Amino acid sequence: MKALITGAANGLGRALLEQLLDDGHEVIAVDIMTEDLDRLAVQSRGACRVVMADMANVTSIERCLRSLREDKLDLVILNAGISATGKFEEIPLGAYERLIHINLTAPLTMAAGLVGQGLMQRKGRIVFVSSLSHVVGYPGASVYAATKDAIAIYARSIAKPFRKSGVGVTTVFPGPIRTEHAQRHAPKGAKENKRMEPKELARMILKAAKRGKKELYPGSAAGMARLAGYLFPNFMTRMMRRIIFDKLDGNTY
Amino acid sequence: MAQDTGKARNILVTGATDGIGFLLAKSYASRGHRVLATGRQTLSDDAAYFGLPNITYVTADQAFPAQAAHAVDAAMERLGFEGLDLAILNAGVGWTGDPAAEPAEQIATQIDVNLSAPVMISATIAPLLFARQGQLVLIGSTAAKGQARFATYAATKAGLAGFARSLREEWQGRAHVQIIHPGPTRTAMHTKAGLNLGLARMMFMSPKRASKAIQKSVRNHERQRKLSWFYGLRALFSRAGEGRL
Repeated sequence: MKALITGAANGLGRALLEQLLDDGHEVIAVDIMTEDLDRLAVQSRGACRVVMADMANVTSIERCLRSLREDKLDLVILNAGISATGKFEEIPLGAYERLIHINLTAPLTMAAGLVGQGLMQRKGRIVFVSSLSHVVGYPGASVYAATKDAIAIYARSIAKPFRKSGVGVTTVFPGPIRTEHAQRHAPKGAKENKRMEPKELARMILKAAKRGKKELYPGSAAGMARLAGYLFPNFMTRMMRRIIFDKLDGNTY
Repeated sequence: MAQDTGKARNILVTGATDGIGFLLAKSYASRGHRVLATGRQTLSDDAAYFGLPNITYVTADQAFPAQAAHAVDAAMERLGFEGLDLAILNAGVGWTGDPAAEPAEQIATQIDVNLSAPVMISATIAPLLFARQGQLVLIGSTAAKGQARFATYAATKAGLAGFARSLREEWQGRAHVQIIHPGPTRTAMHTKAGLNLGLARMMFMSPKRASKAIQKSVRNHERQRKLSWFYGLRALFSRAGEGRL
């Protein structure tokens, strides 16, 4: 199987990459910081190929797509993402521009490009990474939440038309993950041990993709939050405000 | 905005050269409010274009979101707005077709115009809204639930809805945040998006009806409101409701 992962250098992307390599697959690892990935590629003896691309930049994304001309991909995981947390009106406009480009413009451009240019294998699958914020809201990260809602709806919209090209779509709605990146954006006093291990999440995502699942709410906590968000959407967003926004200590972007 | 009590209020309407935005700007201005209207065109004579002296027009091309936000900010300063009672962020563009054939620049433009620009304008006008405990009204779309041939457009509108949901909580007690989702409306948007509607247009809500429904929803401070096509149909059969709008 040939797979592609964006944001493969760290966090969840890295866990996905290592898992796929362990399982003996061929992986194209896309990221802006590639030093560490290059080392891994050498060790992998050809199983891992590194493509440097800046997901904040459409020209760079198009260049990345062109470099894949010869490839037929079975699995694509559009994982690259960033956040911006704090008081909405205090975060500079430039941070929002970058956030929206990386979290939204990039995965949409990649997905449309991959299918439109015939780079996906028939029976291939594209995985989008949304967020549990899609069901509960996220005061203190309202623009991040906007991008993750947009991803979820894009994935839902393209499911049928992409099926015509034989490409399946999976959307993942993870809650808090134990990564360095998530740590920076967490509110004061957030419990580290309640966050999901990237490795565990990577396993669940790959299993869901293999089974052709449309949606994955990983773990029982995410499943419960989904139900609560469905039944009491406004109440849950208010709870999120108390749990997160009211406890945020400064702005991080 | 509580009620139209005759006091002149400061109002911002984006995407006001056409369609729903045009009608909203004119309607508020005709009741004596000060309206700042934006659009991507350059107008040679804005007083003549709108036919009302209390509408000021500023060019703000939302395909360049940060520039558009700065243009709005500068215009409000020129007008001497010390507060903003109501901001209706209505400007939007669409593209229709097979999502696998959607060009990269169409994806980028829709995201910039429909999501990035409203986000940046909201951040820029926040202090003025707080000064009056004003109302931020985002115009979404019923497509926000997902639509195969409007995939990116639907995504941007879902993004706006998510933005409104979280920002409403953040801004509680400082400014009111609303999202209104009009259904298909008889405006130029569909033709611009490359969709030939034919007879289906007959089923769409008129922009006039949409504008009135939005104003009603604004008066009632509704958190969110869907204006579906049968809203127009229902209104057709109960003309009695018209007087109240």
